[in-house]
Amino acid sequence: MNQTTEKSAAAPETAAPDMAGLSRAQLRRMRRFDNPWRNPKLILGATLLLSIIALGLLGRLFWDVDMVFTGSGLPRQGPVGVENLRGQVGTWAHPLGTDVTGKDILALLIIGAPNSLYVGVLASLIGMSLGIFLGFTAGYTGGRVDDVIRVGSDVMITIPPLLILVVVQAAYGDITLTMMAILIACFVWQSPTRLIRAQVLSMRESGYVQMARLSGASSGHIMFREMLPNLVPYLFGSFIANVTTSIVTAVGLEVLGLGPQRVPTLGRVIYDAINSGALIQNLWWWWGIPTALLAVMFIGLLLINLGLDEVSNPRLRRL
Amino acid sequence: MGRIPLSYLANRLLTLVLTVFIAATLIWLIPRFPCFSWVQVLFQGLTCVDPADAALGRMAAGGGSVADSDAILAQLRTTYGLDQSYFTQYWLYLANTLRLDFGLSTASFPTSVATMIGYALPWTLGLMLISLVITFFVGNLLGALMVWERTPRLWKAAIPAAMVFTSIPPILSGLLLMYVFSTQLRWFPLSGPYALTVEPGWTFDFASSVLYHGVLPAMSIVVVTFGFWALGMRGLMITVQGEDYTTLAKAKGLRPRYILYRYMIRNAILPQITSFALKIGLLVAGQVLVERIFAYPGMGKLLYDSILTQDYPVIQGVSFVIIMMTALSVFLVDLIYPFIDPRIRHGG
Amino acid sequence: MPTSKNRLLTSVSIAAAALILGSAGAVLAQDVAREDTVILDLDRTIQDPENFNWMTDGTGVRRMQGAHQGMWEPLFVLGADGSVEPWLATGIESNETFDVWTLSLREGVTWSDGEAFNADDVVFSVDMILQTAELNAREVAQLRSEVASVERVDDLTVRFTLKKPNPRFVSDNLAIRVFGAFTPVPEHIWSQAENPATFTFNPPVGTGPYTLTSIATNRAIWDRNDNWWGAATGFIDLPEPLRLIVLETGGEEARAQLMAANQLDAAQTVTLGTFEAIQARNPEVEAFAPGLPYSWADPCPRQLEFNTTVAPWDSAEMRRAIAHIIDRTQIVNIAYEGTTSPSRTMFVQYPAMEAFISAVVDAGYGLPATADVAAGQALIEAQGWTRNGDYYERDGETLDMAIHVNSASTEYTRTIDVIVEQLQRAGIDARAVPVENGVFWGEVLPFGNYEVSYSWLSCASVNEPWASMGRYTSASVVPVGERAPGFNNTGRWNTEATAAYTEIVNAMGVMPLGDPAIPGMVAEAYQYLAAEMPFIPLVQAAKLLPVNTTYWEGWPTTDNPYNSPAFWRGDTHRILHNLTRAQ
Repeated sequence: MNQTTEKSAAAPETAAPDMAGLSRAQLRRMRRFDNPWRNPKLILGATLLLSIIALGLLGRLFWDVDMVFTGSGLPRQGPVGVENLRGQVGTWAHPLGTDVTGKDILALLIIGAPNSLYVGVLASLIGMSLGIFLGFTAGYTGGRVDDVIRVGSDVMITIPPLLILVVVQAAYGDITLTMMAILIACFVWQSPTRLIRAQVLSMRESGYVQMARLSGASSGHIMFREMLPNLVPYLFGSFIANVTTSIVTAVGLEVLGLGPQRVPTLGRVIYDAINSGALIQNLWWWWGIPTALLAVMFIGLLLINLGLDEVSNPRLRRL
Repeated sequence: MGRIPLSYLANRLLTLVLTVFIAATLIWLIPRFPCFSWVQVLFQGLTCVDPADAALGRMAAGGGSVADSDAILAQLRTTYGLDQSYFTQYWLYLANTLRLDFGLSTASFPTSVATMIGYALPWTLGLMLISLVITFFVGNLLGALMVWERTPRLWKAAIPAAMVFTSIPPILSGLLLMYVFSTQLRWFPLSGPYALTVEPGWTFDFASSVLYHGVLPAMSIVVVTFGFWALGMRGLMITVQGEDYTTLAKAKGLRPRYILYRYMIRNAILPQITSFALKIGLLVAGQVLVERIFAYPGMGKLLYDSILTQDYPVIQGVSFVIIMMTALSVFLVDLIYPFIDPRIRHGG
Repeated sequence: MPTSKNRLLTSVSIAAAALILGSAGAVLAQDVAREDTVILDLDRTIQDPENFNWMTDGTGVRRMQGAHQGMWEPLFVLGADGSVEPWLATGIESNETFDVWTLSLREGVTWSDGEAFNADDVVFSVDMILQTAELNAREVAQLRSEVASVERVDDLTVRFTLKKPNPRFVSDNLAIRVFGAFTPVPEHIWSQAENPATFTFNPPVGTGPYTLTSIATNRAIWDRNDNWWGAATGFIDLPEPLRLIVLETGGEEARAQLMAANQLDAAQTVTLGTFEAIQARNPEVEAFAPGLPYSWADPCPRQLEFNTTVAPWDSAEMRRAIAHIIDRTQIVNIAYEGTTSPSRTMFVQYPAMEAFISAVVDAGYGLPATADVAAGQALIEAQGWTRNGDYYERDGETLDMAIHVNSASTEYTRTIDVIVEQLQRAGIDARAVPVENGVFWGEVLPFGNYEVSYSWLSCASVNEPWASMGRYTSASVVPVGERAPGFNNTGRWNTEATAAYTEIVNAMGVMPLGDPAIPGMVAEAYQYLAAEMPFIPLVQAAKLLPVNTTYWEGWPTTDNPYNSPAFWRGDTHRILHNLTRAQ
């Protein structure tokens, strides 16, 4: 650790922000922060994710998505105006070009990008529900139940999801998107469970819960009416983090060629590109555009996560 | 920093044993799941793959047909113990797994899975250690800088931007690095763990060749994983920033950089050390394709190859060893933790 | 900052390297210049580099890592024209009933450790195979299923007695035909082995011009043995390359980059686009053919197999209808981008097969290169199906088809994509069912668990017709759910036509190779295949194998096809002997 301390010393020394006096712009921003949910990071992140959903919805309306099939166009066409190795120039017939079998890249993205997001959100939703349920049960009930759940989540957090999923995939071959999401969900419930359990344990002794208990409210009422709303920011942050993890896991599987075989996904497109020599053929649009889209998705999630932190922790709202 | 109390040790040991047991059982159960008769009734359409059938099929895939297939099949069944009941097979499997005996590979018969793992493990450990250590330091430092109030604005903008790389699957970063540094700039070799004609051994030539060849595979992992550390560290730093001792240190007028290292990073980094152990399993998983494209003969590549050849004993062996490694390192970190974190005392 | 970071990096790296360094080993004896080294591509890992027991080699990697290209030599090699070239043997004679074969060995052959190679080695090897059921390589199983006994006649003569007559005994067992062949092992080493199935044969000994220098999981290095018997006895000169390296490259992208950078001399198959890209970067790279199709046809033509017990494909008319609808030229153009050619019959289109192919085509049973969709639709309509919108229907049921395809290669899935599209346009609701390699070969094919499958199960013949045709006889028919023997007739084709077909094929099976009556019989038997279409031949299998002429010239080409360009096979000896150093 001492090495860390030494090596990072040089860089950040130079410019400490000038804190003296607030400009008008800063004051304006301050007013905007009266409503913490109108956080620019949050809004930008949500916009990025919505744009991917919009791509999926509008794309299906305005573009012929049947072009995800082999032979829909000439192979290896570049995006509009881009010349490929054979000297052919890309046209508007395939604005983002085609792959080596003539599949239209735009159509692949329209179908594939929302699929990747879908897997992430679904897996995270299932995982979170499981996590909330187990976390509350463990924290509120205590005793044996708590022991079992705690040890169970300790155990499951150690097992890398990709490895188990590889074994599953190797055994079962083709699976559906939903099936994949459910499988991933089996590995993302542990951290919310731990988180919620810890929060519930501390909240159980807090005043308003004690009050509710004294006034004879049922356990369910206390858990879901009194305690849950206070956990919302934590849950939301945990949810977004899980979406990210799930997408990374799903893409990892797809890039190994182990995802759904018949449904286009971003990972699958990248897998095909890698296995067909896309780099040496300079077909950058084939692997580059799906990668960029994945990047957009992750930046969106990252921004939402950063934004949520600022919402729940006002100290972070910088001027 | 007293002795570790027995109850704590027993608790951790129980978790370790349970983890290994559950993982071993899952790995055994998953491929055989569709073979149980009640599963066949409940879930139509699942294919039960018999390892002996698959081994014979793979032989046929090499040349279209196999003579005398019934005799060979019977032979394979005996060798893999498939003629015994599932119950017996399971107990034998558990007993053998404890002795790190994973049986014989089906694709490279009669090589034992342990031998194959023996060849692959050192490479993975080496590559993993290099990349894990680099990401840990770089990621945590960047994460800390994201929170520190004295970080220059340019850095504050640049660090989240760099995190874009986190979204790239490791194989793509590998291909990109290969494209830029091997084929275009020709700074680093294209593939392999060491130069073609260098003979493995305790020689300077070999060691430097290994290091030189390891740079790109390690970097491909580093650029896509440091973001996780940075994000985690950021969260921890935010908490530490609000602690009283940080405020107190500031009030005392200590130098900001001293506060950053002594008070903030030192305290925030502790939970990250636990994640460090947990990360090992994830990292190997991410390493799979990187090892494949660089023809790096580690566990990831072994796993990938065995997936392609449906070599179940190897898939099981590799998965088990990786899970075992993760579980053991988590166990060790749990034991060491009290000694590095003065706030935690056992048995309290 | 940089210095401390570097120090850290270095110390960590050294620690890691210390871990990596396994057992101490010797440094290579000498350095061989790149110009004297030939580097071949390996498409898999040498999972057990210390094991050289080819008799338990299931995947072939214990031979294709260089052992049977350089170190072990075959008894015979099969030429593309069907001729049998003796190598360690000088010839083989059979009796009139083809069940006793007398093999003559070459004089003066020695193992690389100096011991003489003679009849004792052959007899010992064959006896060991007959007695050890655990030896399970494909070639071993083949030999064990055919040979009843073996005996030594004299020092250079061996007599095989077969269980039943087989005129193709040499090409089935002793000659390199598709990948490997029976290769004798040295008695003086193997007789020490306690259990032949677990014996690792390390260090390996062979008769070939190369001996092992170093092997790891990712590469094998073989150096020339200047005392090789072949040069000493005047059989052939020493090959020019001083060193042979077989290197695992790791996928199409990596092998393309290595090829472009001159770090590889012969690469495994790549796609057309990749080949063009390599050529653009390295003009010294060539392929088997100078222009399209560039590729070499491997001996396993692709085809669609019907499960003839599943309705509606139990009807010969329906199967013929599908055959009409499939457009082979379109498959070649889209799925293969012109790198292969449409199949005319079930056979691989090698010169040695031409007599049989033209006999079938002349008799009117050849397959068209393009589709006749209207004819196909007429056949379907004659079966009572009517087109309603997109698809045909009968009794409220849509005409659909599930095609099982091995997902291991994009070549397979691409072809099926094209076929599915063709069938869809013709009104059949076809879809692909991609299956993992192990499931496909382990569970789908042998048990007949499919409706239609895409495969290459006619594969076998390269110089005579029986090996392929014999795979569809009624002798191999078992009920669906039982294992089809030897992966033969997995579609359970079993009609009166099958019986008639089987009769002719069986008669053909005991006739001597090259009998002038055979082409006529092939055509006669083929009428039943053409009428019932238990499978539909599609296209020839294409392998686009780039070779690099920067350092070595004399690779096999269409102008000089002295050998197949498949450098992973046991007949690669002929390529190595033909290579000359480029100046």
